[in-house]
Amino acid sequence: MNIEEFRKKIDENGIKEVFNESVKISKERQKDVNAFVTIMDSFEKSSSLSKISNIPYALKDNFSTKGILTTASSNMLKDYIPVYDSTVYKKLKESGAILLGKTTLDELAMGGTGTTGHTGIVRNPIDTTRSISGSSSGSAAAVRMGVCPFAIGSDTGDSVRKPASYAGIVGFKPTYGRISRFGLFAFASSLDTVGIMATSVKDVAIVTDILKGKDENDMTSLDNDDEIYENLIEKDVKGLKLAYIEEICDEDNNKEIFNKIITSCETLGMTVEKVNMDKKLLEAVFAAYRTISCAETTSNNANLSGILFGPRAKGSTPDEIIFNSRTEGFSELIKRRFIMGSYVLRRENQEKLYLNACKIRRLIVDKTNEIFNKYDAIILPTTKDIAPKLEQEKEIINDKFSVLENHLDIANFGGYPSITIPSFEKDGMPLGVSIMCNIKKDALTLNIAHKLFEKLRGEENV
Amino acid sequence: MDKKTLKELANNLMFDMKEEEYETLSKEFEFLLKEMDKISEFEGIKDVEPLFHPFEIKTSLREDEAKNFITTEEALLNVKEKIGNEIKVPKVVGE
Repeated sequence: MNIEEFRKKIDENGIKEVFNESVKISKERQKDVNAFVTIMDSFEKSSSLSKISNIPYALKDNFSTKGILTTASSNMLKDYIPVYDSTVYKKLKESGAILLGKTTLDELAMGGTGTTGHTGIVRNPIDTTRSISGSSSGSAAAVRMGVCPFAIGSDTGDSVRKPASYAGIVGFKPTYGRISRFGLFAFASSLDTVGIMATSVKDVAIVTDILKGKDENDMTSLDNDDEIYENLIEKDVKGLKLAYIEEICDEDNNKEIFNKIITSCETLGMTVEKVNMDKKLLEAVFAAYRTISCAETTSNNANLSGILFGPRAKGSTPDEIIFNSRTEGFSELIKRRFIMGSYVLRRENQEKLYLNACKIRRLIVDKTNEIFNKYDAIILPTTKDIAPKLEQEKEIINDKFSVLENHLDIANFGGYPSITIPSFEKDGMPLGVSIMCNIKKDALTLNIAHKLFEKLRGEENV
Repeated sequence: MDKKTLKELANNLMFDMKEEEYETLSKEFEFLLKEMDKISEFEGIKDVEPLFHPFEIKTSLREDEAKNFITTEEALLNVKEKIGNEIKVPKVVGE
C-alpha cells in the first residue's frame, strides 16, 4: 500500500484502527520476519497538513530518537535511550508522520546480510527461507509487509538499495549530504547517506522533499536545491541518454530481463548505450570499499566503551571495564572489521592500504564522471540474481565476489544519487534495476525512475 | 597475518576474540591484502590524488554561540554507575 492508499484507509477507518492493525501485523510477523527491534504501542494524532501527516512509518534503529530505545542492533547499545532527536526523526515528527517502530539492522549497519543484529536474523517476508540482505533489513521488510507505506534506512555501500531490491520495493539513496546525518549513528562518514524505502517512486519523492535540506548540525549537508521532487517526476524523459556498463552486466544471471528493461526505456524515448570500464578497476571496488569503510568505522565507534552508555562489564580498573565491555558487547564480525580498519590506518600500512584505496576511489569516480559527461544516467541490474537462501549468506571477505554485486558502492564513493526499482520476477521473487545520476541530480534520478517504474508495472513478466 | 599481530591489534582496540575468530580474520586478511597488492600495481597509482570525500563541498561552521543541548541529568541517563552528578569508575590512582 502506498501513502495515498493508507490515507484513504485512515479516512475510512480512523487513525487508531489503522495504527493498531499495523502494530498487530508487525507483532505477528516478528516470529518469522523479525523486522522490528521496537514496536510502538501508542501514537499522537497530528494536526499537520503535510502529505505524510498521521501516516505510519518505520525507522531504522540507528537513528537517534529521544526517549525511545535505539540499539543499532548491537548488544553494546541494547539498553541505550537517546537524549536527543536525529534531524530525520525531528522532521518526520514535525510533518506529523507516526512512528510505528524501530527496525532491525545488521549490527551497527556494518553487515549486508540481515543476519548479524543482536535480536536475530531478519527474513524476507516474501519467502522467509530467503535473505532480505542488509543492513536496512527491517525497514525493507516493514514496507514489504504492508504495515507502513515508507521506511527510513541508511546506505553506506548498498544498505538501502539491496534490501529494497530483494523485497521488491523502491529504495533511494540521494546525493551525499542531501539529507542531514545528524543523529544517524555513523558507520563510515564519507559514505553514509540517509535513504528512503517505499512502494512507489512518487512516495519516495514525497518523503525526500520533507527530509532534504541544509542542517546546521551537519556541516556536510547540502544547501537547499529549491526543487520539489514530487512535482518533477512526471517530466517527459524523451531524449535522455542512458548508459550501461558492459563489464558489470556481463555477470548478470538474468540478461533477458535486463534487455527487456532496456526496451522499456527505449519505448519511453530514452536511448540506452553500452559503455566500458576497466574490469580491474571495477574489481578493485570490493577491496577499496572494505578498506575505506573499515578505517572510518574503527574511529567512529571508539566511543562505545561501556562507561557513558551501554552495558558495563566487570573490571577492577576503567581500562578493564572498557576492555571487557567491548569484548562482550561486540559480535565477531564487528571486531574483525575494527581490526581491519585499525591495521590499514597504521602508519606503516597507510600508504599501501588506506591511501591506495582512496586513490582507487578517485579513479572510479573520475571514470564515472566521464560517463556522466556524455550520459544523463547509468542503468544497471541492482543485483546479480534474486534474494539468496539464508544459508548462502556469509559475512566473510573471500574471493567469491563479483563486480555486479558490488557496483552499488560506486554511488557512495562519488556521492551520486542512486535508486532501485522493482522490475520483473523470477521464481516468484523480485529483481531490481538501478539508476544512478550525477551528484545533485536527485530530481532527474527520481524522474527517470518514476517513468520506468510506471512503464514496467504495466508489462507482462518475462 | 600471524595471530600475535592480530591479537595485538585487537588489544589496542580494547577487546579480545576467540581463537577461531582470529583464524577467520587471518583468512580474510590474506584475501584483502592480495587484492590490495593488485591495486598497488595499477599503472600510475602513485600519482593519483587520494579521494577522501565524495565531492568538493562548501562547509560552514556554526556561530560560536553557547546553546543548551543536553542537561546533566540527560548526560547521565545511560550511565550504569554514578554518584550524584559524577560517573563512578574504579580508582585510577592508588591509596
